[in-house]
Amino acid sequence: MKRAVPLAIVMVGGILFIIQYFIPHQYSQTLFDYYTEWVPIVGAFTVILGVGSLTRLHKHKIKRKAPNWPYSWAVLIPLYAVPLFALILPEAIGGGMLQSMGGERTSPGVFDFAYLNIQVPIQSTMFSLLAFYIASAAFRAFRAKSVLATVLLFAAVIVMLGQVPIGELIGKWFPKIGLWILRYPNTAGKRAIALGVGFGMLATQLKIIFGVERNWLGGAGS
Amino acid sequence: MNIWEKMLNLDRRWIFLLMGLACIIPFFTPLGLPILPSQEVISIYDYIEELDKDNAIFVGFDFDPGTAAENQPMGEAVLRHAFSRGIPVFITSVTPLGQGLASMAVDRLTNPENDNHFVLVRWEEWASLREQGLTDRDDIIAAWEAEGHSLNANSRGWVFEGRDLAHLGYLPYFSLVILGMTSSITSQYPEDVSGNPVAEMPMYQEHKSLRDIDLAVTNSGTAAVTYWVIYGREKIGLPVAFGVTAVSATDYYIYIQSGQIIGQMGGLRGAAEYETLLMGWSDDGTQRVVYSTEPGDAFIGMDVQSIAHLLIIFFVVLGNIAYFAGGFNKQSKLKGRR
Repeated sequence: MKRAVPLAIVMVGGILFIIQYFIPHQYSQTLFDYYTEWVPIVGAFTVILGVGSLTRLHKHKIKRKAPNWPYSWAVLIPLYAVPLFALILPEAIGGGMLQSMGGERTSPGVFDFAYLNIQVPIQSTMFSLLAFYIASAAFRAFRAKSVLATVLLFAAVIVMLGQVPIGELIGKWFPKIGLWILRYPNTAGKRAIALGVGFGMLATQLKIIFGVERNWLGGAGS
Repeated sequence: MNIWEKMLNLDRRWIFLLMGLACIIPFFTPLGLPILPSQEVISIYDYIEELDKDNAIFVGFDFDPGTAAENQPMGEAVLRHAFSRGIPVFITSVTPLGQGLASMAVDRLTNPENDNHFVLVRWEEWASLREQGLTDRDDIIAAWEAEGHSLNANSRGWVFEGRDLAHLGYLPYFSLVILGMTSSITSQYPEDVSGNPVAEMPMYQEHKSLRDIDLAVTNSGTAAVTYWVIYGREKIGLPVAFGVTAVSATDYYIYIQSGQIIGQMGGLRGAAEYETLLMGWSDDGTQRVVYSTEPGDAFIGMDVQSIAHLLIIFFVVLGNIAYFAGGFNKQSKLKGRR
């Protein structure tokens, strides 16, 4: 029963909405409108599950003094403090948030301060580190060890120079060849991969809808 | 350990230091290298250039701060183009943080301290004009200026919230949001991020669903851009353009080749190309309007990227010289640790 009911829901829902996509009738559209309204509502409950699960996990870590347990506080405090300040506490003590552009508040609350001065710089910094690691990795690993590796290396150098204005100063043909590589050999390769992935997804989805693939059910009932 | 092996075992901190300098120095000594716009970006620009106040576009700030260095200038450039032409813009976001970044972009474009800024007239400020039944952009501007309001010397034009701009913000399950908006925008967004009723906005009255929208420009560092193709382009024929990070740009040339998108801005280079077009680039013989007299962030950032790319190529060449000159291609592994 634990498996049969979810399998039946997936099969009926999957087939129904495959058919719905191709029927432009009013009833079909109404059904779909109901679906688009209900999915976010059902999805909202997963937030409760997610927050509950995360809280339980880190609570246990702190309780057991597991390795790196102080970092669990770094997860739990913002997890509750940010929504508390943004949605519940009054502006007088730093609550509320500037939802829109051109907000009239002169001093940002805790939520906006955390967003502008912690979250945005942290994420930007993490992504910026990529440039440093790419430079180091390119120096150590990008070797012309074989014919294919040499082709890759030359293609990379041409595309890199073609993408920056200084490349055009070095040679007018760099941007042209760089774009040619992106538009033709790259597109051909990506097209093949995309088709393969697409057919693979289609096959997997059909297997899930018809109950052939059941891994998504987990171990419940087994 | 000979010199070639020493070179191959170079402490990575030297590489980090040089890369850091390559990223910082060009900001203080701009090279101002010219940018040559590609057809992929020109096609987006030309498409928007054909639109006016009777059309409407969606601009998606579908990225997080991690890729904002590349995606934010794209979003700002498209917004500047649309505001300059009086094209109504609906702003949406696939990610929660993208909503704040979209607000920052609008704030920047409407900041009176910046040259070429726009003057934002908020929804409640022009309520009296709506009560008079004014919905046409030209009529609204004429009535607004008749009330004694005027543009600053360094401003580019008015942006009326609800007529020229609706910041709709973030919603979860964005693929479903796009599908829902194919029926009605207000079914997904009854209010904008400021709590203003979208149904009462003149721009909504003229463009009630995605079927009435002329273009969606989605900017992202993830595959979220494909939502607009799968659920917008393929379902109702909505024209779509991409603004993507350089690292993912190669993935989306297939969409250009198949005609599913009208063009894409790839990485900082793509954003810089759009900024170049906004500055009236006409080297291809086409006379273009000057929408901005100043280079944007992407244009300035291209100097940094030029030097950084050269440095990486230098390291690759150096590594290969040391590798082959030292004869390491004939050995199984290096003696050194690194």
